[in-house]
Amino acid sequence: MRREAAGDPGSRERAAGRTVGATALAALVVLVVLPLLPGTSNATLLTLTLMLTSIGVAINWNLTGGFTGYVDFGHAVWFGIGAYAAAILISLQSNGPQVGWHPVPAIVVGALVAGVLAAAIGRVTMRLKGPYFSIAMLGTFVAVREIVRVWSPLTGGGVGLTLPPYLNRELFYYLELALVVVLAAFTWWLRHTRFGAALVAIREDEVGAETRGIDTTRFKTAVFSFAGLSTGLFGALWAYQNTFVDPDIAFVEVRTIDAVMGTMLGGLGTVAGPILGATVLYWLRELLWANLLDYHLLTQGVLLIVIVLFVPRGLVGLFDRRGASLLELWGWKGRSRGLRQSSAAGGEVEAAS
Amino acid sequence: MTALLEARGVVKRFGGLTAVGGVDISVAAGEMVGLVGPNGSGKTTLFDCLSRVQPVDAGLIRFGGVDITGLRAHDVARLGMSRTFQIIRVYRDLSVAENMHLSIQWGALGVPELFARTDAATRCRADELLDLLLLGRLRHERAGNLSGGQRRLLEIGMSLMSEPRLVLLDEATSGVNPTLVADIADRIRAVNSEQQVAFLLVEHNVQFVADLCERVVVLDQGAVLAEGTPGEIMRDPSVIEAYFGDPGEGARDQNRVPSDPGAPDERVGEGSLHRSLAGSGDAADPDAGREEPVS
Repeated sequence: MRREAAGDPGSRERAAGRTVGATALAALVVLVVLPLLPGTSNATLLTLTLMLTSIGVAINWNLTGGFTGYVDFGHAVWFGIGAYAAAILISLQSNGPQVGWHPVPAIVVGALVAGVLAAAIGRVTMRLKGPYFSIAMLGTFVAVREIVRVWSPLTGGGVGLTLPPYLNRELFYYLELALVVVLAAFTWWLRHTRFGAALVAIREDEVGAETRGIDTTRFKTAVFSFAGLSTGLFGALWAYQNTFVDPDIAFVEVRTIDAVMGTMLGGLGTVAGPILGATVLYWLRELLWANLLDYHLLTQGVLLIVIVLFVPRGLVGLFDRRGASLLELWGWKGRSRGLRQSSAAGGEVEAAS
Repeated sequence: MTALLEARGVVKRFGGLTAVGGVDISVAAGEMVGLVGPNGSGKTTLFDCLSRVQPVDAGLIRFGGVDITGLRAHDVARLGMSRTFQIIRVYRDLSVAENMHLSIQWGALGVPELFARTDAATRCRADELLDLLLLGRLRHERAGNLSGGQRRLLEIGMSLMSEPRLVLLDEATSGVNPTLVADIADRIRAVNSEQQVAFLLVEHNVQFVADLCERVVVLDQGAVLAEGTPGEIMRDPSVIEAYFGDPGEGARDQNRVPSDPGAPDERVGEGSLHRSLAGSGDAADPDAGREEPVS
């Protein structure tokens, strides 16, 4: 009962919270100040913006893949749909003069379109479990990309759509930074609500959750739709900054893979995991691109294997193993210590049965 | 007494196998009913049909005057039926307390409560139940780290959290220490008499059923073989043949009485019980301990 000697878990949680809070605040200050420094180029800002996009998508993926346990292998489809919906609205043309939408409502509607489609598709695909769901979402991703490619009157087909240029890197950077911060705070808050706990219950035992009164269908579809909407928003923002979309750059498998890998690297089903993991993965990729262009995919594949084999609980889990209670605030997976040493006594209970 | 749960002609087939073939069963409000039968007689499948975990192929199930035959499991739970599982279902990666907090009456929650933290009253109620089940000390422990017996207790606690009108207990005492079995029986009796909660128990521990239930239903090969008071059932020749195999074996089964000191092999004393609970469970594998002989 070493656990109890260590004191009230609430106080340790608060202590861990201060550590995490201080770290997060320091990182945030750096990210806020960086663009204001004279040496920061537009290219750096773009790189950072893309990193934030990657983090945002990973956080959203983790809502269904990590918390609810529905591993979505086609999550990038929402990014592409958001991007295309916004791009179509902005570049609307009717016989000559442009009547395209203002970007702000177009981006909002783009996200909504992704959310509504996620609700409709999730309602069907989330009846499937485990690998069947993953494959169904992968199929959805490929199907939607092909639909976009073929439906040229609306989507411009394989040629894509060109948007009016509006290149204010700083604005987009700060916008996405704010989005990521809000999204991270939202995830943290959600995990502490009954709804968030119910999502984890669905991951742990869906039949059990259902028989204990949790409307699993509605809960998991709700979170899936939200994740779709939120990723669609990042997609819409990306399309506008990129000033161009075509099926092959809007619907990219690697975006899903990055979200999955980043989340796993950081810690599946934790609040900090996707943020930490997507950041590390992003810079690792930059490094590999710069130095090992021919082997970067190979290296990433090996990395994924190493993560699964040696850090199954991700970077967040490493803190836990060292005894830091960081995880108890951010991870909620680190409740495994303290019992193992008394397994002999536990054996008696078993044998008595 | 009006029937709280009433099932008529429930049929459930798995391919060519008829697991439950036209079973009638009813439980009155506040009644304690035992459901016994040999392995494969359809007890758990019947539970799955009643709690709507499995769709039925034929039959009608009414609960509290509502036809629940076509409802989904969470709707049934919200009407006030809770259950435990033969193969334990706890949320392994969550703490013991969180498991309890997640077993509330979800039907009573509005949207603001759904997006709020667990309230103090729920915490209190969970702590009280956990203390009673001797799990109080483990409330911050990961449920997956508990031993099989402790998880069984946790599941019972979870089934009582939602203030149900009917609890279906599927082998609630298997894997639980005998002294604790007596405590569980006391608690069930108390919940039953104080709050008029009805219980339907699937049990292999005949004495446990005899102690608690006014009425016992015997299932065999998916059909009701006999029904009556525990005394009548245990004297029924067809039951003895189907369930106990032969009278001698039946008598041995009845030796699983908690107070019986003469069942040496499989029992441990109270001292080791409390030591075990204080030291708590084994790690990952719930069955690991079963193979270890008690010295």
